[in-house]
Amino acid sequence: MRIEPPEGGASLFDHQPELFAAFNLVYGTLWSEGVVDQATKEVARIRNARVVDCGL
Amino acid sequence: MTTTAPVSTWLRGAHGDLFDLVPEAYGQLGDLYAGLWDAGVDPITLELCRLRVATLIGSAADLAVRDPRAVAAGLTEDVVEALASWTSSPLITDAQRAVLSFAEQYVLDAHGVTDAEAAALHVHFSPAQLATLTTALAVFDALARVRTVLSVEADGSGMAVGPSRLGVALQGPDPDEGEQR
Repeated sequence: MRIEPPEGGASLFDHQPELFAAFNLVYGTLWSEGVVDQATKEVARIRNARVVDCGL
Repeated sequence: MTTTAPVSTWLRGAHGDLFDLVPEAYGQLGDLYAGLWDAGVDPITLELCRLRVATLIGSAADLAVRDPRAVAAGLTEDVVEALASWTSSPLITDAQRAVLSFAEQYVLDAHGVTDAEAAALHVHFSPAQLATLTTALAVFDALARVRTVLSVEADGSGMAVGPSRLGVALQGPDPDEGEQR
């Protein structure tokens, strides 16, 4: 990992917990709310991950 | 250069405002965006990143405005123009050069970030600042792509969006509340 998490943290973003929480809030809303079904959203997420070649 | 701009797009919400379609998510996105500018990174550096990302993606709406926090911090148009030659311009600091290199790789090929580029970032920024910068690049990249695919234009059409809507995510607080963008 090029940027180590803080002690007790899991990722880089734990260096900025308030910002990370704000990101997770909008990300969670996009998954849990709205008129697009989750299967369609997941297909889009996986396709995006493949284009970027993100193995997570 | 104005810090405000009208906005139009081909996608319209129930009341002519695109963001009526997803008000909760948009409000949260606005909070995230606002938080970027208050998370330990010089606003001029953040704005240079936003504009460089917008240039690479070709987002005219983003390029048409300047974030007021960066302007208040002293951002000038000379520095913005220097972005075209950021690798050598004396108006761009070494710290800004390091993060602009990171920003370009983020947009063009995330796998292309080298160990040397990562090391350069650590010279100039703390881990907390790098967390902010990484999150900011993700948001700037996403918004520039959204505006581009929706053909958002700063053209003064009837699809203007108020400061509390797109303005939050595009530019931050607007001192001219009520003015159309």
